[in-house]
Amino acid sequence: MRSRGTGVATPVPRAGAARRIRSALAPLLWIGPAIVLIAVVVLWPVVEMVRTSLLKISSSGLTLGSRGAQNYTDLFSEGDLVDVMLRTLVWVVGVVVATMVLSLGLAQLLNARFPGRRVVRWAVIVPWAASVLMTSLIWKWMLDNYFGVVNEVLVDLGVIDKPVNWLAHPTQAMLWMMWVAVFVSLPFASFVILAGLQTVPGEVYEAARVDGAGTFRTYFQITLPLLRPALLIASIINVINVFNSFPIIWAMTQGGPGHATDTTTTFMYKIAFFDQNVGESAAMAVVNFALILVLVLLYLRASRWREEVS
Amino acid sequence: MKRHLMAAIAAGLTVALGMTGCSKGSSSGGGSSDGKTIKFAAAIYDADTKVYWDDLIKTFEAQNKGYKVNLEMVDWTQIDQKVKTWVQTKQTPDILNYNAYSDFARDGLIYKASEIVSPQVLSDFLPQFVAGAKYQGEQYGLPFISSARQLFYNKDIFKKAGITDPPKSWDDVKADAQKIKKAGFIGYGLPLGPEEAQAEFYSWAMNNNGGWVDASGKWAINQQANVDTLNYLRDLNKSGLTQPNPETTDRKTVFNQFALGKIGMGINGPMARKNAIQPVNKDLSFGVAPLPSKDGTTHNTLGVQDFLVGFKNGGKNKDAVSKFLNFFYQKDNSAKFLQTEGFLSVTKSAGEALSSDPYYKPFVDALANAKFAPTDNPAWSAVAGAVKQSLGTSVANADPKKVLDNIQQTAEKNG
Repeated sequence: MRSRGTGVATPVPRAGAARRIRSALAPLLWIGPAIVLIAVVVLWPVVEMVRTSLLKISSSGLTLGSRGAQNYTDLFSEGDLVDVMLRTLVWVVGVVVATMVLSLGLAQLLNARFPGRRVVRWAVIVPWAASVLMTSLIWKWMLDNYFGVVNEVLVDLGVIDKPVNWLAHPTQAMLWMMWVAVFVSLPFASFVILAGLQTVPGEVYEAARVDGAGTFRTYFQITLPLLRPALLIASIINVINVFNSFPIIWAMTQGGPGHATDTTTTFMYKIAFFDQNVGESAAMAVVNFALILVLVLLYLRASRWREEVS
Repeated sequence: MKRHLMAAIAAGLTVALGMTGCSKGSSSGGGSSDGKTIKFAAAIYDADTKVYWDDLIKTFEAQNKGYKVNLEMVDWTQIDQKVKTWVQTKQTPDILNYNAYSDFARDGLIYKASEIVSPQVLSDFLPQFVAGAKYQGEQYGLPFISSARQLFYNKDIFKKAGITDPPKSWDDVKADAQKIKKAGFIGYGLPLGPEEAQAEFYSWAMNNNGGWVDASGKWAINQQANVDTLNYLRDLNKSGLTQPNPETTDRKTVFNQFALGKIGMGINGPMARKNAIQPVNKDLSFGVAPLPSKDGTTHNTLGVQDFLVGFKNGGKNKDAVSKFLNFFYQKDNSAKFLQTEGFLSVTKSAGEALSSDPYYKPFVDALANAKFAPTDNPAWSAVAGAVKQSLGTSVANADPKKVLDNIQQTAEKNG
């Protein structure tokens, strides 16, 4: 206290400027680590990705110099690109919509009071805790043409009369993989929504009951609107995760037959490691990144998130 | 609460977007600065591979005081990704066991064979393998192991179907497959999935005078002989004589079914006995015959070889690399590897050591007429990649000519 007092009394202007700089920099001490983390973990890979997409990289992996926009030209002249993009859209929208609808129900269930609720809540977390790759491989084997349990059960029940090679037919394979993607996305989405449900104050429901609103009306006019922030977060993070999901498709079909079950993420991998073209693959990664940014921004705009959070 | 929400959104976006950035993967660096410690990246052929290398390295280090070999085992499914990452980040191992070498040679990353093995070792390599280990007339790859493909057939199924001799011509194959189908089994196991479509296709195409390149060495993937080959295989599939969906089936699956006695015929190499048939069904009664050809007279076989290459990494490692390679190519050491894994020899000396087991004889004999994939062309990896991705679709829904045209385009684009 005293030393600070003398400091103020000293008539040296430079000390004041230094102090002003110091106090301006003081917050850096707290937000500095976060900035460094973001720079190293988020920004640097993005810069590296864009840089790689402009390079000419030999099939061995050696960098041979700049290639300008040629990688992008090559990418956009790939005959399969349009199909792959459209399929990615179907994949993302399908998985996210199904996940959100199912999660709303699941969250409602988990929010209700019933004996054994704790056990059920834990059970819902399991697909989240298990490795996605492992889950996908298990499903791949369950759907196997020769040994799969799915075929066995369906044949025994008389639903089909001989085993179906599910993952070899693009449409069926896509549906099964979407189911697996929904399955692994459910825990996160339902727990976010559950958290949202728990923030809805009981008095609101009481008031609704007093005003004579039925169950249906209460849900759609009170619960759902109040859940909007939770739904927003859950669906955005879900969109990003599903968009970039690699292990499910890679483990179950490798995007095949041909490119019939590829999304942009597996397509990108194939360009690098089958076509031996790392530069073009990086161009695909940049396009992927841009797409996802645009998608998220459009979504935020459509849902007028500023009104929600500010 | 609103402010928390903002923070949650920001944190969530940061994490999720961060995950979209490509991860470089971790890898340890090359050897030490004194050049006496080297890193050796070996491919995993099966569970015994690591045991073999651990033993060999122990003996090597005991006999060469001061030298050290750090072993890294790499799975075949991850090796392409790892090797590319190593080259890009300048962390290549000193010795690599791989199935390609020519793009390393083109990019000046590896030693010439004559720089890292002794003249005795060089002259011990069998000439047909040396031809496929050169780049622009100079040998870079060190032939490591080889295999030749033959037609495996199930003797019990043949008996039940009333077939006396293995098929010689393509017509025989189809007729036999029909008999096998009538007897209640799958006629021919056709793996055109991404694992090895290029090998299966070439095994058929070469026996119809087709192939990857024409006489002058130019890409000729969409030549008529290849289109005919695919049309023949497509007919087998469409007539229900193969297992369902050849376009997504890998050789592993086909030979699992073969070992279980459900498939009558399939093409594979000598290693199939050890790694596919014996673990599943020790008592399977099977025979081995030359690959069927269109006209049934001459029978070519597909030869496959893997390589060892020495990366320069600045050059200090040359002495250690060469010591270790010369040690490996000593007759007993390389013969032991072949015996462990069930492959064929690439050297004269180890071949003699192997000839005791009659099982290998038809494979070794066939090797004399073997044709190889054009591994000496740096564009081959990209071509093989394109084949793996799309060739299978030609026996299902896509048009064979169109599929081959597309692969031809890829090949020409890569030079």
